[in-house]
Amino acid sequence: MLEASQPREAVAITVRALRHHYRTPAGPLVVLDGLDLDVPAGGYVAVSGQSGAGKSTLLSILGGLERPKAGDVIVGGVNVAGLKGDELAAYRRSTVGFVFQHFGLLDTLSARENVELACALARVPRQRRRARAGDLLAAVGLQERTAHRPTQLSGGERQRVAIARAMANRPSVLLADEPTGNLDEDSTERVAALLESIHRDHACTLVVVTHNRRLAARASVRLALRDGKLVAA
Amino acid sequence: MTWRDALLLAARGVSRRFGRAVLTVLAVGLAAALLTALLTIATTAETRVLNELSKGGPLAGIRVSAAAPDPSQVDQDDARPGPPRDLDAGAARRIAALPDVVSVVPVIAVHGFVIPPDPDVDPFLDTVVGVDLERTAQLPITVLEGRLPAPGALTEMAVTQGYLERLDLDPQEPEAVVGTEVEVASARFYPSLGDDEIRGRWTKALIVGVVAQEAAPGQFLASIEYARLAQDWRAAGGSGGFIEVTTSAYSGLFVVARGLDRVGPVRHQITAIGYSTSAPENLIATVQRYLRVVEIVLSAIGAIALVIASLGIASALLAAIRERRREIGVLKAIGARDRDVLRVFLVEASVIGFLGGVVGTAIGWIIARIVTSVVNGYLTAQGLIGVRLGLSVPIVTGGIVGSTLLALLAGVLPALRAARLPATEAVAGS
Repeated sequence: MLEASQPREAVAITVRALRHHYRTPAGPLVVLDGLDLDVPAGGYVAVSGQSGAGKSTLLSILGGLERPKAGDVIVGGVNVAGLKGDELAAYRRSTVGFVFQHFGLLDTLSARENVELACALARVPRQRRRARAGDLLAAVGLQERTAHRPTQLSGGERQRVAIARAMANRPSVLLADEPTGNLDEDSTERVAALLESIHRDHACTLVVVTHNRRLAARASVRLALRDGKLVAA
Repeated sequence: MTWRDALLLAARGVSRRFGRAVLTVLAVGLAAALLTALLTIATTAETRVLNELSKGGPLAGIRVSAAAPDPSQVDQDDARPGPPRDLDAGAARRIAALPDVVSVVPVIAVHGFVIPPDPDVDPFLDTVVGVDLERTAQLPITVLEGRLPAPGALTEMAVTQGYLERLDLDPQEPEAVVGTEVEVASARFYPSLGDDEIRGRWTKALIVGVVAQEAAPGQFLASIEYARLAQDWRAAGGSGGFIEVTTSAYSGLFVVARGLDRVGPVRHQITAIGYSTSAPENLIATVQRYLRVVEIVLSAIGAIALVIASLGIASALLAAIRERRREIGVLKAIGARDRDVLRVFLVEASVIGFLGGVVGTAIGWIIARIVTSVVNGYLTAQGLIGVRLGLSVPIVTGGIVGSTLLALLAGVLPALRAARLPATEAVAGS
């Protein structure tokens, strides 16, 4: 499984006093309110919670997509909250792999090119990136679909391409935001098994935000987000 | 991300919105076509007008007469010469050694009797202009029909359109005289022969071509070898009757300066050596200024069209960015830097501009050809020589490069906007 993409050493995640809010016409909407989180290196954490509880915001902050209003987010000893510009882009490119609920694939590119794109951003040489994309797609069972565009793939297949892309630069942390939210039961099972195997085989730190109880049940730590804080599920 | 990767992404982006991309390319193309056509026509017209002024010779040409300068005429285009002064090889060498002088070509003009082939036309007195026929590129001579006499030929001549008029022929049908013969005599004074004191050295010459020439006044163009023989034969008799023999080796020189702006200084230096000069420098400079104004106006019209097209590019790119917010967010979420995104959109704008430039320049060239053929039809109907359209490398290069650069410029704002989109756009719909 995913032999071609040996991850960097797994890293721990430490979050302290994380606060975040959104401005609304009715005033600030607090979604994270002094949240603390500890994920050991190589840990597997599932976060659940009601819609609008702030799960995706938490994951976005962990992934460097969004800057918190306050607090520290330490990933592998680096405070992500203090990164900006090229450093932040490098963090997104190399330290984390992000899997989106809506797959986040570029429709104009084939499955292989979508995976290669992540490598291209990391300036991996053309030959190596082609080989790596081929290996990753084979590892997620899509070796016959490399030339297909996302619109020619099923939801489950798209998500597997997205997972392959997330692993393209051998991240230390894999973040998955509702990875099975748009999938049928069979695809959900397959994606869940894939994420689990990645975590097991590559010892990367895995944080999954999900409503799906069966997916959450596979995690070693299950947390729920309530009133802006994490509690045991 | 490398430029090549950016090009791939941009190309895919363009292909996804193919219809819109084609329309944008066409907008740029039409603007570039307008600019190319206008500039090509303007340049061709300028070349035609200046050619007409210089009779196809160098614009920076100066005629030197075998005469002393008249100080009051030095800055006149068509300066009146002072008293005769011998012009020989030594003077030609001194002029050739002046700074900013590119070439010096001697001219020998000899008077002669002419008997045309048509018996209804009376013989007449005219001038044969002898020049080095291997150096006609440095002389104001344009072949209108046929060819020039061979260098050194003693029995070949070319004639001007004035000769056709003399024969009551249509000047616009020069082929009528090519291949005919004419008898030309150089007159010599024989004082011992009493009433028959004038004798001619007759030459039967084949007319090989019709030319427009300003090397010296005269309806016949021959080799300098012919003119020298005629001149020597005439000089051997001395002056007498209506014949006046000069001791000047050349009747004039045609000097080419390094540029139009050097014509004035070179004329002053030749005046200092002691010879009268004339050159249409003021006329050409004035015409050039007027033509430049026309060119600027036409360029401005084309440029306005290009600016409008560039607004179209900016609008198309802004629309593309609105549609691709999530795609841009995903790019950033997987590690693209702001400049990577900027690069993709700038490349996309450049590709559109380049394609528009190529298409537009080609269309512009076709339009210019069509306009030229219409103009040529009109000129021919008016009995004038048509315009020859030349493919201008600077205009073609400028059209393509200019369209690309303008598109690039138009793409800067949308590209900056795309580059500044936050990575959270990737999860905005989640």
